[in-house]
Order: sequence, then structure tokens, then C-alpha cells
Amino acid sequence: MNWKKFFIAFIVAFVFLFAFGFLWYGKLMHGAHQEVPTLWRTEAEFGNHFPWLVLGHLVMAFFLTMLYAQFVRAGGAGAGATLGILVALVYAGADLITFAVQPLTTKILGGWIVGDLIQFAIAGAIIGAIYKPSSLKTT
Amino acid sequence: MKRFIVAFIAAFIFIFFWGWLYNGVLLKDVLTEAQSLFRPREETMGLFHWIVIGQAGLALAFVMIYASGFAGGGIAAGVRLGIMLEILAVGARCIIYATQPFPVKLLVLVSIGGFIEMIVTGVIVGAIYKPAPPRMP
Repeated sequence: MNWKKFFIAFIVAFVFLFAFGFLWYGKLMHGAHQEVPTLWRTEAEFGNHFPWLVLGHLVMAFFLTMLYAQFVRAGGAGAGATLGILVALVYAGADLITFAVQPLTTKILGGWIVGDLIQFAIAGAIIGAIYKPSSLKTT
Repeated sequence: MKRFIVAFIAAFIFIFFWGWLYNGVLLKDVLTEAQSLFRPREETMGLFHWIVIGQAGLALAFVMIYASGFAGGGIAAGVRLGIMLEILAVGARCIIYATQPFPVKLLVLVSIGGFIEMIVTGVIVGAIYKPAPPRMP
């Protein structure tokens, strides 16, 4: 494992995931989310729980990077984006199940799935572009 | 390809029955404590096909990730993939906890069930799926 590259890839992926989440889910989808206001915390409550939002993004960035570093290793941005899309499909499956059990609108469901695909494809591409395995030994 | 399809079907069947047993039966009372965040039962039953499609998508994505990078590692690699994917899901649950008023107890119990689900799915997929042998020139 190339820890220096790993750490850089993880930090950049975290910054991207957090910024994208703020723009996509927090700003662009704000109106859609407000169609079902009873599902969400109030602004004050959300502020009190903000560290959980940061922690969640840190965990996702760290383990997406770990997944790439352990099992894809090389291949660059393309291989990273492919891994990201596959991970997004796992999330999309969970989104569909959530839609069936929570009173989400189809607009929210669609926004979450599209957001997952864009977010993880780009995050995977970033990780793939940055992370390189330790240089191979030559004989 | 044959093993891919068998692994997908076996994983889907397990995820479906585990979801029913754990979330539908064992966690029934805990879920009731947060009833205001869920659809009424009749409404959920009307959308049941989305649960099935979601679980099938989850199983398919699991097998695709395993086949693209973990294949050859057997059950141990399947379990490692399952653990990593569930930790990613725990990350998403932290975000859900920040934005939705779910009780901590419910999210912890759902995560425990998620770990069991993903580890067993990893065992199933790792045991069934084998990469195609390299072709001789």
C-alpha cells in the first residue's frame, strides 16, 4: 500500500464528496426535500448533529479509497470511475428500498440515485487518478 | 457467466429473506418507535416491488464488484468486500442520522443487521463465483 498517495487521494475524495453533497443534496434538492418536511431535522437540530455529517463523509471517502487501493490498485481514473459507479449501484439499491418504506417523493428518489451515480463516479475517478501503488520491484 | 448468474441469484435470495427476517420480523417493534418516519404498512406493501428491485440491484452490484476485482480470493475476499461495503453504508447512515430524526438504537441495530447481511453475502458470492480459467494460446 502506498500510504502517501492513499492519504492524498482520501483527502481529495473527502473534500469532493462533502462539497458535492452540499451542492446537490443541500442546495439543488432543497426544494424537493421540503415537500416532505416532517422527515427532516429542523435547522437547529441539524446544526447540533453536523459532526455526524462530516464523519459520514470521512468514512465514505476513506473506505472508497481503501476499496480502490486494495482491489483495483492501478488503472487510473477510468478504473476508479467504474468502481465508483458500481458502488453507486449499491447505494441506488438502498435508495429504492428506502423509497418503499419512507414517504419520499419520486423526485427525491430520482435525485438521490442520479446524485449517487455522479458523486461516486467522480470520486472514484479522482481516487484512480491520484492513487498509484508503490513502485513495482524489477529484477 | 454461469457462475456469475448463480452467485447473483443466491445472493439475492439470501438478501431478500434476511431483509424480511431481520427488518420485517426481528426489528418490527423498534421500527414502530419511529413510525412517523415510515409509510403506513399498507402503502409499503403497495410499493413492495421496489424493495425487491432494490435488493436485486444490491445483489447484482455486489457480484459485479466482486467479479471485477476480488475474484480468485474466494470466501475471504467476499467477506472483506462485504465488510467494506457495509462500512460505506454506515457512513451513509451517519449522514442520515444528521439529517433525519431516527433513534440511534434503530440505526445501530440496522447496521448490525447490515454487517451480517453483507458478510454472509460475501461468503455466498466468494464460494460460488470463480473467474474463468485463462485460455491457452
